Amino acid sequence: MSSMSKKVKVIPCSGIGKVHGLLAREMGLRVVNEICPQEAETECLAYIVTGDQEIIDLIKESKCVTIDGCPKMCAAKSVTELGGTVAQEFRVVDALKEYRGMKPGSVTALNDAGWKIVDETAEKISARVREIYGEE
Amino acid sequence: MGAVKIGVISCSGEDCLGGTISRLATRKIIEEMPQGDAVTLCLPLFIAGGEEERGFAAAHPTITVDGCNKWCAKRATERLSGKVSDVVQVADIIGNEAAEGPVISTRNISPEHLEMVDKVAEEIRVKFDRIAESYIGKALQIKGF
Repeated sequence: MSSMSKKVKVIPCSGIGKVHGLLAREMGLRVVNEICPQEAETECLAYIVTGDQEIIDLIKESKCVTIDGCPKMCAAKSVTELGGTVAQEFRVVDALKEYRGMKPGSVTALNDAGWKIVDETAEKISARVREIYGEE
Repeated sequence: MGAVKIGVISCSGEDCLGGTISRLATRKIIEEMPQGDAVTLCLPLFIAGGEEERGFAAAHPTITVDGCNKWCAKRATERLSGKVSDVVQVADIIGNEAAEGPVISTRNISPEHLEMVDKVAEEIRVKFDRIAESYIGKALQIKGF
C-alpha cells in the first residue's frame, strides 16, 4: 500500500459482471506495473468504497485517473464521492469503439483480441498519466 | 439447490495477489453453480447509484470474499447495504504472505495460482451450501414440514 506520494493514482473499476470490467482492471495493472511504475500506482477501489479516513486522506491528496468498464462509472464516482480529483476519466466502452467487431474474451479470461485492446489502450492511458504526473 | 439466490461479493482488490484470487474464485463459483443460484455484484456499484445492488444485498443472503485483512468487501457491503451472511478470507486459506504479495495480471496466472483459486472457491461453495440448506430448512419449517 502506498504512502502519500506524487504518483498518479490509477483506479480501474475491476467490475466482475462483464468483460469490460476485466479489460479495465488489466489496463490499470499494465499501466502501473509495467508501463509507468515510476509515475503511477493503484489503490484498491474496494478500499475506497469502505470510506475509511486513511483512504479519504490519500485520495484527496492525489491526482486520480479512473478506468471504468461500463457507463455506470463506478471508479470515477467513488473517487469523487470521497472528495478526490479525477484528472482524467477513461471508459472502456469508448476504447472499444476503435475495435468494432472484436470479441475480447470473457469476464474471467481475455483472448488475444482482448490483450491487444488492453496493451494498446494502456499505452494511451500511460501517455496521459505521464502528462498529469508532470503537471504542477 | 435452486431455492435461494445468494450474492457473492468479491473485493477484486488491485493491490495484492489476494484481490486477484478473490475475483477468480468468485467467478469460478458463479460459472459452476446452476444459473441464477449465485449472483455476483460489483462492489463499487453500492456507491455509484446501484439501488438494485444495494437492494439485492439487503434482501438476500450474501457472502463476501476478501483478499486481505482490510476486509473491504465485508465492511463496504455492511456500510452500504446490510449485514453479510458469511465471509471468506483469502489470506486464511493461502496464507497471509501469499495473499499480500504483488498483484498479478490474469496473463501471468500459474498452475499454483489456479490451485489457490480452487481452494478459495471450495471454501465459498461450502459456505454457500450451508446458507442454502439453512434457508431451505427454514422454508420447510414455515410450511409445517
